[in-house]
Amino acid sequence: MKKIFRIFNCLSVSALIVGFGGLLFCISCGKQDSDKERQKVIRLPMLTKIQTLDCGNLTDVYSISIASQIFEPLYDYHYLKRPYEIVPLTAEGMPEISEDHLVYTIRIKKGIYFQDDPCFPEGKGRELKADDFVYAIKRIANIKFVSQRWVDWNGRVVGLDEFREFTKSFDKELDVDYSVEVEGLKALNDYTLQLKLVKPWPQLQWNLATVVTSPVAREAVEYYDKEIMYHPVGTGPYKLKIWQQGFFIELERNEKWRTEVYPSEGEPADLEQGYLADAGKPIPFADRAVYRVIEEFQPAWLMFLRGELDVMQVFKDNFSQAVDPATLTATAEMKDRGIRLIIYDDPSIFWVGFNMQDPTLGKNPPLRKAISRAINRQAAVDLFFNGIHKIAYGYLPPGLEEYDPSIVHTDYSKYDPDEARLLLREAEAIHGSSIPSLTMAIPGTGNLDRQMGQFMQKYLADVGLDLKIEYMDWPTYLDELNKGKLQMFFSGASPSIPDSLDMLLAFCSWNWGYGGNHFFYSNPEFDALFRKAEVMFPSPQRTAICRKLERIMLEDYPAAFINHRVAITIVHDWYRNAKPSAFSYNTLKYRSVDPDKRNAYKDLLKELKKKKK
Amino acid sequence: MNKIQSTNLITEEILPGRSLWADGIRRLRKRPLAMICFVIMILYGGLAVFEFAAELAGWEKASVAHWNEITGPSYQKPFAPYEWIKEDGSKQIRREWFGTDFLGRSTFRRTLYGAKTSITVALCASLISLAIGVPLGAIAGYFRGWIDDLVLWVLSTLDTIPYIVLIMAFAVILRERTVFGLHLRGITAVYLAMGLTSWVGICRLIRGEIIKRKESEYVLAARATGCSNRRIIFRHLLPNVFHIIIINLSLRFVGFIHAEVILSFLGLGETDKPSWGAMIDSARAELARDVWWEMTAATAAIFLLSLALNLFGDALRDCLDPKLRVD
Repeated sequence: MKKIFRIFNCLSVSALIVGFGGLLFCISCGKQDSDKERQKVIRLPMLTKIQTLDCGNLTDVYSISIASQIFEPLYDYHYLKRPYEIVPLTAEGMPEISEDHLVYTIRIKKGIYFQDDPCFPEGKGRELKADDFVYAIKRIANIKFVSQRWVDWNGRVVGLDEFREFTKSFDKELDVDYSVEVEGLKALNDYTLQLKLVKPWPQLQWNLATVVTSPVAREAVEYYDKEIMYHPVGTGPYKLKIWQQGFFIELERNEKWRTEVYPSEGEPADLEQGYLADAGKPIPFADRAVYRVIEEFQPAWLMFLRGELDVMQVFKDNFSQAVDPATLTATAEMKDRGIRLIIYDDPSIFWVGFNMQDPTLGKNPPLRKAISRAINRQAAVDLFFNGIHKIAYGYLPPGLEEYDPSIVHTDYSKYDPDEARLLLREAEAIHGSSIPSLTMAIPGTGNLDRQMGQFMQKYLADVGLDLKIEYMDWPTYLDELNKGKLQMFFSGASPSIPDSLDMLLAFCSWNWGYGGNHFFYSNPEFDALFRKAEVMFPSPQRTAICRKLERIMLEDYPAAFINHRVAITIVHDWYRNAKPSAFSYNTLKYRSVDPDKRNAYKDLLKELKKKKK
Repeated sequence: MNKIQSTNLITEEILPGRSLWADGIRRLRKRPLAMICFVIMILYGGLAVFEFAAELAGWEKASVAHWNEITGPSYQKPFAPYEWIKEDGSKQIRREWFGTDFLGRSTFRRTLYGAKTSITVALCASLISLAIGVPLGAIAGYFRGWIDDLVLWVLSTLDTIPYIVLIMAFAVILRERTVFGLHLRGITAVYLAMGLTSWVGICRLIRGEIIKRKESEYVLAARATGCSNRRIIFRHLLPNVFHIIIINLSLRFVGFIHAEVILSFLGLGETDKPSWGAMIDSARAELARDVWWEMTAATAAIFLLSLALNLFGDALRDCLDPKLRVD
């Protein structure tokens, strides 16, 4: 009997231990879950696949928007102040500029470290040195690296073009001897960088605020070689945790990042809009950021409504649900959910581009003009952008100083199908027969892309032109665009710096293909005038030249310009500090989320559902 | 004597001869549902032929065939009256049966045009799959040995890959290629992909039938009279299994239409002209703005044709297959 009791006791004790252990496990799990819920995670949509995270080769806004959180250039734009103001980022202060504007001396902050990475000894990131900037710029100049950003530096820095010539003698990028001195690009000591220019470069400060000029750790390039595009190693507030191509990208806080604080000054309206609520607090606020690649708008919209995304752009099919068109504010349904709208002019331009080297289009100005006349821009804006975007009468977008308001009175973007038909007759005479089918590439395979394709087909068919559409994913499209394989292409651009010459550079003959002139446009008059303007500092004369450059290019119809974007962003109320910026992309560090509000959103949805019933 | 009497009796009982096909058609006529389905199929087929002829003859601007014409404002509801200013400036009150799409084009006309896309794809894919599957199955079944092993190996390999995935892979590979000067894009790539991947089923079926029949008395008789293997296969065996091919074809036709819809939905099919799959894909995003008519029209068109084809195929099998024949 005693034995039975003993066994029973043993069993009871075992059960108690197991039960207690289980309880502890559950509590610890619960704690972990709760910690996870408390973590500040920003969830963002990414509308296309990312091409590369190699900062020396960034050209598209999607890649730049991720890389800007990982890499840090010398300068940055003030997050809140407008007009845009340059502030030091990894630089100690503003550059010391010689009187002739040819020598720039920049001191670098001490105590900035690269993120920890296996490429460094013992995996510990080392301190940032001036040499890292020198290496980054020399790498862009290295012809074997095939940087698409060489155009920014071409003919600018003393000795850099010669260094590029020198790199031609090597077989591979990594074989190049970077110890060869470039007179105009030197690290005077560990914390001082000196740039000597061939001629004045008024846009240099702006360029030093783009992520492309960020320092690069040579160890990382040598360690990862061709894979460096998937392994960014920077000094920024975030580092890459996971990149599942085509699915999602996850960034996590770089624990080695220095201490910086949220700005305390801004525009007068910033205080009222709550953008100064976090003034003086240490940044970054978010622990992680998850970008989900969702190429279709509808799933992204549904995820946003479920609270799985913090922010997204408002597109054609969700416009009526999100925006009250009379007041351009959020609809009552959105307000009930605590969702708010942010509307702002985004200096940008979208176009149907023509490949000027194409045998059909390139030598036939009346054909290009006919296509431009055949496109009903107002209908495009109404159909695809709910009448919010602005018709592009020219190329330079409103918001840039050189934008010419009188351009609206010109007829470059006129819709006139009758004139288009007449021009087509002229075009056929030049071509020698009827115009064959034309092919236009559209980046994207989603519903909106296909509708845009059908729209273009429809309007071109109305004047007697047959148009075939090729829908491509973003990396394929960029590749074909750079190689000049596309006859016509639907594309767009935003200036990366607040200077019109940055946009007009897309039409310079020395900038073909990878450099950004995807039209393969060449006009000696345009080139000569551009060379004149690029060394001029802001002045009415320079503005006049920029406007003249725009007109010269428009006369040749290398593209049919369609619209300028007015961005409508929709955000949940837990997403804070969402001030839009046209030029700065490294804004994630300022963004914040309130996990409590986000966690309460599901209950809010249930309540709203009950109310509806 | 008895023997002679019995022979006479048999002679007296023999009815006027009727072929398998004539008998099958007679039985089919007795089924009203099958005949309704047949009429529906003929209507769809006629529509496809009309759209095809309109394109060839340059009648694209003929009212029903002009699917690309803007007939009203964007997203007009079905039957809802709207004011429309014509090109000559005159105003009129109009209604669209199935409403309008994002460009203001008639959904009804686009749905009608979709019949041409779907039927062309299904027909071409059927012909390609028959052209590959039937002779290959007949040769494998007749000769057996290493030929049979080889065909079976190819069959089994293709069969292990999920059908839609296989078609998608082929469609992606074939897209934008040029074969014998023919640029493969849109539906050409789709029906080639379907035809080149879907012959497995018919090949297996024919192989089985040929194995079953190759020792039949009429084959032995043909062999005894000195017929070549080619003659036996193509003149004696295949005509005797032709009804199986027809039945199989009628049932697989639906599958091809569905596959075309799926491929178009996934963006691998027709992109320049209307197709039911592309219409459903396009309408999917627009459901959020309560534009339901495009989805409904395309789905209804597919449903009606699929139902008619399925019911007719079943009836055809019942009437032609000697084992299933019922009066």
